[in-house]
Amino acid sequence: MSPEERKVLVVPCSGIGKTYGTVSREAAYEVTEDLRPGSTGLVALSLLVLGDEEARAAVQAHPAVTIDGCKLACAARMVQESGGHVAQGIAVLDVYRRNRELKPQGIAELNEGGRQLAHAVAEEIAAVVDDLVSREEAPDHA
Amino acid sequence: MPDYLETTVDKFIFRVATDRLYSPEGVWALADGDRIRIGMTDFLQQLNGDVAFADVKPEGTAVAAGDEVAVIETIKANVEVPSPVGGTVVEVNPAMELSPEAINQDPYGEGWLVVIEARDWPTDRDALLDPQAYFELMKGQAEEEAKKL
Repeated sequence: MSPEERKVLVVPCSGIGKTYGTVSREAAYEVTEDLRPGSTGLVALSLLVLGDEEARAAVQAHPAVTIDGCKLACAARMVQESGGHVAQGIAVLDVYRRNRELKPQGIAELNEGGRQLAHAVAEEIAAVVDDLVSREEAPDHA
Repeated sequence: MPDYLETTVDKFIFRVATDRLYSPEGVWALADGDRIRIGMTDFLQQLNGDVAFADVKPEGTAVAAGDEVAVIETIKANVEVPSPVGGTVVEVNPAMELSPEAINQDPYGEGWLVVIEARDWPTDRDALLDPQAYFELMKGQAEEEAKKL
């Protein structure tokens, strides 16, 4: 299986104007650009909302990790409504509950707690990605 | 299950339980003799969003009406919850420790905060709003908030 075929898609919520939305997007950038650039791809939620064919085809072809900033869970819902499979849904609030010292503040620019929380979310996603990729590479998936 | 008054403002539906009294700040009080169970209204919890943590005063704490009895940290704000009644905290909802999201899921039921043994419930009760009065106040507050969207 080629690296392209093993790709896991990361879909963050849009959450414009909301701190937890910013955390979700920052975490997505960190995973796809820094932590696991070779095995992940980023899908903009807005493209799924618009029904963009390329974005829909991507989530239908690859497992998705969604990141949501609130209980509306727009990212997870849109992947499902686009015919995709949510391999793992991450709620920023759940990660914060496990890391209370990382209180996020700010919107356009996160405070230090927010940046560290985004990093913690990104690390959790990276672990999920590693697990998904290793399962794809297992002999019974060959 | 209590009955509810209900209104829709913008895309949001707000409910007011008809079996209890309310402070103007959006805190409800449900009396069982002098034991008063208190919690946040549906409007107050929706206004402030998903709850991350609930720091509630421990059992044995003495409060006056208007004193802070809990601080609720949500994804939007830290909400200081004023007690609608004076007395002593005699019970704390154990769900607030591990699943404070009960405030969002069931604000008039499982999401209660504390029970206070009232010092002078008849006096405190007179300062609170009945469900219809709070409903009208809340509708105005909700419409003001909707203009900010």
